[in-house]
Amino acid sequence: MFGSIFRFELGYQLRNPVFIVTALIFFLLTFGAVTLEDIQIGSGGNIHVNSPYAIAQTVLIMSLFYMFATTAFVANVVVRDDESGFGPMVRSTRVSKFNYLLGRFSGAFFAALLGFAAIPLAMLIGSFMPWLDQETLGTTVLAHYLHAFLVFAVPNVLITSAIFFAVACVARSMMLSYVGVVVFLVLYFLLTGLAGSQPEYRDTIALFEPFGLGAFAETTRYWSAEESNNLVSNVEGTLLYNRLLVIGLSLVALLVAFWRYSFSEKGLSPRQLRKESVKKQREMSVSPSVVTALPSPSQSAAAWPRLIARTRLETGLIFRSPAFFVLILLGLTNSGGALWFANELYGTPSVPMTFALVLPLLGSFGIIPIIIAIYFAGELVWRDRERGMNEIIDSTALPNWAYFVPKVVAVSLVLIATLCIAVLAAMLVQMARGYFTLELDKYFFWFVLPFSIDMLMMAILAVFLQSLSPSKYVGWGLMAIYLVASITLVSIGFEHPLYNFGETGFVRVSDMNGAELGGSKSWWLRLYWTGVCLIISVLSYLFWRRGVGISISSQMRRVPARFKGKPALVALLGLMISAVSGAWLFHQMNVINEYVTSDELEEKLADYEKAFLQYEGIKQPSVVDVDLKVDLYPEVGMAFFEGVYRLTNDTGEPVTELHVVFQDAYSDLLDIDIPRSTLSLDESEDYGYQIFTLDQPMLPEEEMTVSFRSERIHKALTTSGADSRLVSNGTFLNNSEFSPQFGFDRSVLLQDRTTRRKYDLPAELRMPKLEDEAARDRNYVGNVDWVMSDITVTTSAGQIPIAPGRITADRMEEGRRVVRFESSNPILGVFSIQSADYAITARQHDGISLEIYHHPEHGFNAERMLDAMAISLDYFQASFGPYQFDYARIIEFPGYASFAQAFAGTVPYSERIGFIANAADDNDIDYVTYVTAHEYGHQYWAHQLISAYMQGGTVLVETMAQYSALMVMKQMYGEEQIRRFLKYELDAYLSARGGEVIEELPLNRVENQGYIHYRKGAVVMYLLQDRLGEERVNLMLAELLARYRFKSQPFATSTDLVNGFKQLARDDAERRLVSDLLEEITLYDFSASDATARALPDGGFETTFTVAVNKHYADGKGVERDAEFDNWVDVGAFTKRPDYDALEPENVLSMTLKSIKSGRQTVSIMTDERPIYVGVDPYSKFIDRKGDDNIIEVAEN
Amino acid sequence: MLSLNGVTHVYPNGTRALNDINLEIPKGMFGLLGPNGAGKSTLMRSIATLQTPTSGSMTFDGIDIESEPEKIRARLGYLPQDFGVYPRVTAYDLLDHMAVLKGIATKAERKDTVETLLAQVNLWDARKKAIAGFSGGMRQRFGIAQALIGNPDLIITDEPTAGLDPEERNRFLNLLAEIGESVVVILSTHIVEDVADLCPRMAVIVSGQVQLEGSPSDLISDTHGTIWEKTIARAEMSAYAERFHIISSRLQAGRSVIHVLSEADPGEKFESVDGGLEDVYFTTLARSRADSDRPVVQG
Repeated sequence: MFGSIFRFELGYQLRNPVFIVTALIFFLLTFGAVTLEDIQIGSGGNIHVNSPYAIAQTVLIMSLFYMFATTAFVANVVVRDDESGFGPMVRSTRVSKFNYLLGRFSGAFFAALLGFAAIPLAMLIGSFMPWLDQETLGTTVLAHYLHAFLVFAVPNVLITSAIFFAVACVARSMMLSYVGVVVFLVLYFLLTGLAGSQPEYRDTIALFEPFGLGAFAETTRYWSAEESNNLVSNVEGTLLYNRLLVIGLSLVALLVAFWRYSFSEKGLSPRQLRKESVKKQREMSVSPSVVTALPSPSQSAAAWPRLIARTRLETGLIFRSPAFFVLILLGLTNSGGALWFANELYGTPSVPMTFALVLPLLGSFGIIPIIIAIYFAGELVWRDRERGMNEIIDSTALPNWAYFVPKVVAVSLVLIATLCIAVLAAMLVQMARGYFTLELDKYFFWFVLPFSIDMLMMAILAVFLQSLSPSKYVGWGLMAIYLVASITLVSIGFEHPLYNFGETGFVRVSDMNGAELGGSKSWWLRLYWTGVCLIISVLSYLFWRRGVGISISSQMRRVPARFKGKPALVALLGLMISAVSGAWLFHQMNVINEYVTSDELEEKLADYEKAFLQYEGIKQPSVVDVDLKVDLYPEVGMAFFEGVYRLTNDTGEPVTELHVVFQDAYSDLLDIDIPRSTLSLDESEDYGYQIFTLDQPMLPEEEMTVSFRSERIHKALTTSGADSRLVSNGTFLNNSEFSPQFGFDRSVLLQDRTTRRKYDLPAELRMPKLEDEAARDRNYVGNVDWVMSDITVTTSAGQIPIAPGRITADRMEEGRRVVRFESSNPILGVFSIQSADYAITARQHDGISLEIYHHPEHGFNAERMLDAMAISLDYFQASFGPYQFDYARIIEFPGYASFAQAFAGTVPYSERIGFIANAADDNDIDYVTYVTAHEYGHQYWAHQLISAYMQGGTVLVETMAQYSALMVMKQMYGEEQIRRFLKYELDAYLSARGGEVIEELPLNRVENQGYIHYRKGAVVMYLLQDRLGEERVNLMLAELLARYRFKSQPFATSTDLVNGFKQLARDDAERRLVSDLLEEITLYDFSASDATARALPDGGFETTFTVAVNKHYADGKGVERDAEFDNWVDVGAFTKRPDYDALEPENVLSMTLKSIKSGRQTVSIMTDERPIYVGVDPYSKFIDRKGDDNIIEVAEN
Repeated sequence: MLSLNGVTHVYPNGTRALNDINLEIPKGMFGLLGPNGAGKSTLMRSIATLQTPTSGSMTFDGIDIESEPEKIRARLGYLPQDFGVYPRVTAYDLLDHMAVLKGIATKAERKDTVETLLAQVNLWDARKKAIAGFSGGMRQRFGIAQALIGNPDLIITDEPTAGLDPEERNRFLNLLAEIGESVVVILSTHIVEDVADLCPRMAVIVSGQVQLEGSPSDLISDTHGTIWEKTIARAEMSAYAERFHIISSRLQAGRSVIHVLSEADPGEKFESVDGGLEDVYFTTLARSRADSDRPVVQG
């Protein structure tokens, strides 16, 4: 009996369209993730697309989304018979409840599992697609797919099947089952999100998280690429328990289902009965108003009532449909998390300002309106036919327009409502975060209005395709093809917005600069596409098949008659709108500007590299004096530049050629005057490269004056992105964007390895080796040297211009603000030019003017920034030497990028970081101070000492700025709190290692790898100053600075720093530590166990515990070898657990250095109080992949 | 009023659903009788502007149905053979909605229309219920109500009495008869009694062709003297069927009463009877089947 029920159910489910549609959707999703570069799950870097890690990760993530499909399968089992009215018949047979329920459940579960098989199958098939970069693929191992399917997919599908089967058994409704899914998801994300932010709950999550994502993350946390590519996670320990727990929970859910499911239908309760009868009474008491002659229709007067009634009906049917409800909840679930964590940095939340929420909202919610537009277009077009209402409706006097127009209006209303719901969710998040400035206007103009129009255009296209399709499914399929095609077309180089239907570009919003970037282009394109949509609407109207059994060809005969009159006028109007706006846009984009696809751009860069890389080694004289005159007209998008350079030949040999590089998409070099020279190669048009041959070679130490003029004018709208640097309010230009440079520079070249290979370039260009002394001629910033500068910036009257240098003149001239900035000592030859309507928060501090230039509404962290500048400069001046400026400025720029960058005394700082950080919670990392301290650290490490462009170069710039910032944080927050930063940095370093594309290098050879020079650098430097002494380290650094301050070639190298540390080392242990940390990739593993405390006769306590330690050296690919450890390590005793709780000094009973060796050893600590926790390296100062086991609770005895 | 000239419809799969239909339908009730699959529904849909015939012309009150469907629809009330409804919508609301679609513009007029019709079809008490939950008969009554909105002068009902109990059927037919005095009402059905009781004129359509047209009484009198009846044992049926042209049979007290068609007395104790409309109908069916050279099947 069970068997036949099972077989019947399985067969039924497999024949159900839901199965095919589900399998297809998940196949396509996964296939896309495998074969498209833009989407990646689990892979990336050196981790192969078909690595066991990526397979497992994909299966895990998909199993989360698959919940919606699973529910469709299992809830259908329960709901089907009730809905079809077949239930009583089935249940009155002799089938037992057990066989009935379980047989059907098993059938549905198996169907769900079979559907899920589409996911690994898609990965397998996808990995054979010819366009995949072979380097991203490993060998195909079928066992890896099977492992992921058995270990992760089967239990995950089982538990969701069981839970939602139980829900359906109780609720007896598809809709309520889906509500259950959403409630489950919300709870799931809430709990894992909350617990995930607290590292101490990590183990708990790993064990209980029902999808095994936590357990999988736990097993693979710090896997190297090597391990990710070859290992499957062993089913043991946490993972095993988690899987068993999941299966157990599934059985419990099934028991609940069995217990709660009742064969008989529920009758009404007495209370409901009473209510019903009261209602009935009331209805009975009303009598109809009966007339003898029925009113006659009036076709002309009925137009409005028809539009309203049709719209109301269509809208109501969407709003009340379960699909709409499910989609909205799905969208809200997804966006809730995105909004809550939006702009979080270092785990610190941001002030949820509207401009910063629009993008996360779009990203997380955006798919929902797209689905709604496509899905309901099909529903609306086909509903009358599917419901069997079409004959009645079609034979009424309803005019043809009244079919199409109300549907469009209804979809619009639904879309607007959907977007308003999203806005409501965003505002709820804002209020929950304590932010009550609700900016409805911004939500409306930046989100609701543009996006609902875009989605409406999508809906109009969908309605059109539906009206031509023989069935709803074909129509949906056509839309799916359209979506895929539009993505594919763009990715193969058909990027022009005038032929990508509904393309309106990407608008970037900013509080400072509004929606200027992309805003006007998007509205012009919307106008153009509105015209097209009018034409499409008329076509839909013409091809609308009214009646029964009408084929497209027979409809064709009706078209001419329908087209006459208003439809023709509307089509003509649409044609005119599109033609005029399209012609205008084409003129703007293709005639005034040039239409260049990104493929063409890449090819050009590849050609540039092939032709000009040969010039890289040619030595060029250095600019030593810069006079600049910059005239900004930000409101009209114009800027004019004049400059005079004084060059010195500091190369030590005669220079015969000057290589002038001016490569900026928006600026033009109008002329450059190089005295006594001839232009011998002019590729300025294509590559921005010119070679001037000097009539007489420039001798060593000889000087020369070069002058130039350039301009930056926004000519018209472009197909690609707009200029984000010269804008109405918040201009931020740097000198390479408007002034010529000398010598070939790599920074513009193609970076992506796959792209490079595509154009037959070597996969990567490596840096010069650390041993390459010749490379010390150039520095890390590029072809610039120390210069004296004199910059005059003019801008419109309402704005404040800022450039590096002391302000020596500030006046109004002909209605414009004119400010002159002069350097008082040499600065690196890179300049930022900024201009906006700023508010200024300033303070004098020891003769230094501290200034924050910010958007008037963004001042809430200004004082904190000033504090950070003051305390940083105090510490740096005391430790490293004098600060070279009498000013320190932070200047906000629009959030088109999220960084802060140090120029001479002047730090442009993005609107999106720092300024909107919510630093209210003392337990969060104060990254406003951290970033500010880092940038002011650069005033020494970059702007006093600059390192050579070679391996290890960034250590002297970025690692040292990190160190400087950490020391500032240590001073502000104390040693006990600093470990939060260290933990963050350590985690970031360890997690990023696996994603390394080329090879991981030791710090002293780092090749501009952020996770090494920032993350590992911070941890390493902290340990070094801890062991060698902060003051001694600072003294050494001050000497290093003194040696290189404002010095040109040869520039400093990481060897200078390593040698400095080696000299500080007092014994072999310290020397080994320096070498391990700076010259090797070293990983440590400390653990503590078996701690017991013994009361001593003198009233003190002796706590003994076992310490084990391993040390490994890793190579660039992550392959490890064991090494001997013999060094001094912190050993401590505490009354609070130091890695979970915020420690106060009184919680630390003892903290001493002990000599620890490889293997196990017993350590004892004497304390006055009985310790509750003891640990080895308790503050995680070493690079330890498992810091949690460093601490152990002391056993009671 | 309604004239059909040479109306022919061939479906894409080659099925000839209508074959050169010529009919003149005056004001009053007009019965269109035919077996299932005879092409009745195709004809009804064609008149109701839902289908365009392959050839032929149809005019109503001088209006060409094919070229000016809007004008026909404004005067049309149509009850299809089979229809569904929107989910989660009450009878009252849906009828109100239909009234808007048919052009009853003001709220007050719609209230009168909806309430009068609901009362007429006896759905007043069920007006607040979702139609999706209606029984077949209730749903059919709703269909009738919507067809009567706005005083149509061309009413087409396709199998309207299917699923109605006798009382409901009477009520419905009375309603139609009342209206049918001044407008064209086409009653398409395979139930002979519907036509016999009500329709002053009728046609029989078989295999897409009009086989017979006239007033029921004329048609009945035409059969005078050709219908013969005999009561036989059920077991004898097949033997009789071989020898006689049986046009109908019914059971009476466990025995079969058969009617055969014959110009002369067939003998064997057959008695001449006055035929009813049913005999006319079955005779026509039998003839047309014989014409199309198919074996005679019991009616």
